[in-house]
Amino acid sequence: MVALIFKRILQSALTVMIVVTLVFFLFSVIPGTFASSLMGDKRSFDPRVVERIKKELGIDKPLHQRFVTYLAGLSRGDLGKSFSNRRPVVDLLSSRVVASFKLACAAITFAIVVGLPLGFIAAIRAGSLVDTVTMMVAVSGLSVPGFWFGLIAMYLFSLKLGLLPTFGYGSGGIRNLILPALTLGIAPMALLARTTRAAVLDTLNSDFIRTARSKGMSETRVVFKHLGRNAFVIILTTIGLQFGSMLGGSVVVEKLFAWPGVGSMLIDSVSLRDIPSVQGCILVIVLFFLIINTLVDIAYLAIDPRIRYQ
Amino acid sequence: MKKVSLNLIVGSILFIIVVVTAIFAPLIATHDPILDANLMYAEEPPSKAFLLGTDEQGRDIFSRIVYGARISLMIGLVVQMMNTVIGVSLGLSAGYMGGWWDEIVMGMTGLILSIPTVVFALALMSVLGPGIGSLLIALGMTDWAYSCRISRAQVLSLKSQNYIQASYTLGFGNLHIMFKELLPNMIGPIIVIATMGIGSAIMAEAALSFLGLGVVPPAPSWGAMLAKAREQLLFSPWLSVFPGLAIFITVLGFNLLGDGLRDFLDPHGKAKKI
Amino acid sequence: MHEFVSRRVLFKMEKKLFGVLISALFFSLIFSMPAFCDTPMSGGTLRLSAPYGSALKSLDPHVTYRSQDLVVSKAFHRALYTWDSANNSPALDLAESVTADKNGKVFTYKLKKNVYFHNGRKMTADDVVWSYTRLMNPEKGFPGATMVGTIAGAEAFSKGDATSISGLKKIDDYTLQITFSDYNDPGSLLFEAVTAILPREEVKKESFLIHPVGLGPFKFVEHVEGSRIVGEKFDKYYKPGKPYADRVEFVITGDYSVLDMAFRAKEIDATVLSSNAYLAYKADPELSRGLIEIAELFTRHMGFNTQEKPFDDKRVRQAINYAVDRDIIVKKLLKGKAFKATSWLPTTSTAYDSTRKPYPYDPEKAKALLAEAGYPDGFEFEAMVTDKTSSLGVFEAMMPYLAKVGIHAKAKVVESNVLVDAMYAGKAAVWFRSNGTGPDPLKALRTFDSRIPRTGSNVTAFKDSAYDAILDEAAATSDPAKKIELLKKADGFIMDAAPVWFHNYNKAVVATQPWIHNVDGNVTEAAIIEVDSIWLDKNSPTR
Repeated sequence: MVALIFKRILQSALTVMIVVTLVFFLFSVIPGTFASSLMGDKRSFDPRVVERIKKELGIDKPLHQRFVTYLAGLSRGDLGKSFSNRRPVVDLLSSRVVASFKLACAAITFAIVVGLPLGFIAAIRAGSLVDTVTMMVAVSGLSVPGFWFGLIAMYLFSLKLGLLPTFGYGSGGIRNLILPALTLGIAPMALLARTTRAAVLDTLNSDFIRTARSKGMSETRVVFKHLGRNAFVIILTTIGLQFGSMLGGSVVVEKLFAWPGVGSMLIDSVSLRDIPSVQGCILVIVLFFLIINTLVDIAYLAIDPRIRYQ
Repeated sequence: MKKVSLNLIVGSILFIIVVVTAIFAPLIATHDPILDANLMYAEEPPSKAFLLGTDEQGRDIFSRIVYGARISLMIGLVVQMMNTVIGVSLGLSAGYMGGWWDEIVMGMTGLILSIPTVVFALALMSVLGPGIGSLLIALGMTDWAYSCRISRAQVLSLKSQNYIQASYTLGFGNLHIMFKELLPNMIGPIIVIATMGIGSAIMAEAALSFLGLGVVPPAPSWGAMLAKAREQLLFSPWLSVFPGLAIFITVLGFNLLGDGLRDFLDPHGKAKKI
Repeated sequence: MHEFVSRRVLFKMEKKLFGVLISALFFSLIFSMPAFCDTPMSGGTLRLSAPYGSALKSLDPHVTYRSQDLVVSKAFHRALYTWDSANNSPALDLAESVTADKNGKVFTYKLKKNVYFHNGRKMTADDVVWSYTRLMNPEKGFPGATMVGTIAGAEAFSKGDATSISGLKKIDDYTLQITFSDYNDPGSLLFEAVTAILPREEVKKESFLIHPVGLGPFKFVEHVEGSRIVGEKFDKYYKPGKPYADRVEFVITGDYSVLDMAFRAKEIDATVLSSNAYLAYKADPELSRGLIEIAELFTRHMGFNTQEKPFDDKRVRQAINYAVDRDIIVKKLLKGKAFKATSWLPTTSTAYDSTRKPYPYDPEKAKALLAEAGYPDGFEFEAMVTDKTSSLGVFEAMMPYLAKVGIHAKAKVVESNVLVDAMYAGKAAVWFRSNGTGPDPLKALRTFDSRIPRTGSNVTAFKDSAYDAILDEAAATSDPAKKIELLKKADGFIMDAAPVWFHNYNKAVVATQPWIHNVDGNVTEAAIIEVDSIWLDKNSPTR
């Protein structure tokens, strides 16, 4: 088991290295430079100032030299300094990661709290109206464009009903978290509902459940007791995958709700061609995904060492 | 037992509606979606002349949504086809050949899965510049992981079957076996995944357009229309309601179709949806 | 007997007197109510917006020239001059007086003696010298160097050829002498936050970028990245009694719909509006009351590369100016939130000629000009635009009009930094942009000076020595009236030569809640509100 975990960690490290290299070289061929993004729509700079900016940021050095410097910094845990505000990327990311993490946790909690029971009920009452309705809801949740839903929710709950703040992080409290978490959580919720239903149905149809039923146990008790590792594993995998990709997948939601997370930092940095920031964001997003998935793997090895993970 | 479920029926109906709208757009639309732009009628609510109202350039929204079906369908189909072809060939070959090739393909899949689609597409499009070409390339390269995994899993389970072993001993080449024997038996789950993937491709385009990177105006892409209409949600809600609704109905149709196809082709759940 | 009567009378008199006193007080209160309403009240929290992006670039005002950061810097920092919206011109801020020598190149400032930094230290001439010198650092690219670079000796310092700027001389702790290398209006150069006066001991600390220290009316409190920034009243601000508010909070967002909803939900006190919001607010009896319309000093245009066919022919450029109906575009697409442009200088510029008529909508004339220039069947071109309404949106609206005179136009949507690069490299044939055209009209008109390279500001590569001559004459004149005349003439020259398609001057609209008073209309940038003079009455939800 330890060997397996070690192998996973090694694989993850390799993935990270590849991503980092890819991103670095990708962004070095992007048209548009940081200096030009400073001028934006209406200001212009003395070209001598532009030259000094380039020199200061080190963009005038050749590519391979910059890559080496970057790697050296990376090994020290230094992600470089943001072009736009000259602060260490690590510092900038720390507050952003917290914000995105909060959002992701809230969204996945919503998805689990609503999706799991929904899928479960649909499975036990398979074929009934309840089943059809809940699955309709689930498939709709998957089909609705997130930002459209978010906009309408914002309009209804903030403006029309005045129940919630319209945007922003606020003081970090729950009220500001509700709408963005809902918007981000709808699709995962739908997916979880469907997955749970499928997993529970599978269990319901398996032999030992039939045996238990024939012994006269009530439906619900039967299912709960023998839910089965398989079902659990599938549900856990889905939760893990969804949660792991939330840091990057929240880009649109963050932009919509002015949520100061990693996703919105990424978008802003790409527009500005703030390369160190972009690299830092992508690194964090990928790392988060890999960490969560490794944890999920460890979790199921712990649940059932017999499960051969493909 | 092949089962025709409600999903299949409703999904097929929606699918047909969207496809018919796309094909017969010139007959269904009331105006030209790009050239019929008269600022005098900018941002008017739905009326007899303009069934769903007009946008900020004075173009008829109904006509734009109708023609938009062409763009969304085209993008969805092309992107998903690219993804499926890449995914299936990689998965098929990886499962069949095993060894180092399998390791590499699995590694690549892991890589792709760990970078969220939007982020990857964002990066690629920043390099390639906005426009439909780059959009197709960017999206077409980011979503093949699932079809790859499924194909590989299928191959692994089919590989040991007798008739495959028989073909091998009879001397049929690897390619023949892969494409003539294995592939036809895997079609079911692949079609299911592909169908549902069309829905996510369409959503991905909408998300990218929302972020400013997708299809370039004045082309009537639903996602771009939603992005434009975002500012006007309060003042001219009809601008965003309808394109959003169009995306919803289309994606719903594909998802239901995918579900229905699964019930029909693959009732034993080989393509466990993820 | 006498005493008895006196007491009763006295008592009655007392009552009467009391009655009179009460009435007097009552009436004086009533009549002085309006006076109470006009007198600034202290207290409350100003809730404003930084509406141009989802995050601030930097908390160091020297580092960034983006509007977003300038808006916020107004609360925490100040420069030698400030923008006086009431007079539409720069005004001395950190100095009590300034005298110029007869050549107009040497300026002697008597600094105020009551200016303190937020850390308690008093500002002296040394701080001004240090701040300006920092801007010319040869190792760094500070945008303020574009302005401070006009001081004698600044260039030499920035190249590393000198150890200090010769034109900056400290006479004593509160007297500073600045010598410019050429004629300049120091006010228009030194009023923005990019030239703010900063305390060197704080700037040197690492923490400065997270916790800035300046000498503005508000002290920094907190910054939640990508969300908001907060300041509290600095009680040692050099304008006694100000700022009126106790706190200021800026919401940081680039999303107009978000700002609109927040304003309607009464969560912010003042904000810049989008075109759609403008239209809706104008029509609403409640919301239209607090609208402030500001003609900003920015000229939106479509630039032509005058070195590239067919735009090297003046007639083609003029034809495009005649071919498009700008009134309808402004009215319908921009919702009336713009002023149709005449020539390069905007309406609030000191050298704007209000008697000059703009290009009329005349498609026949356009066709005739095109035929004359050798393009009777029109031609094709591609314009670089960004995906904003004021860029791509306007271009889309132009397309049908251009099509009518035979010109087939295509859009190439790119990000603004790509556009800037292409523009400066001369690789773009046509592009959409907005230029700051003020407050100094001479500087604005220099954009078309043939001696200035593309990368300088002459992106259209316009070359006409006759034009240059007019500008030089205007620069050399010391008679202000003559100067304005010459600048107007230059502006007219540009209109005729049409190196750009003249689109509009931005109309910024600021919506204000009924309880916020004294919001000024800043024509250099409407969102930069003078926070030290705004006050909130008792109806503010934050009181």
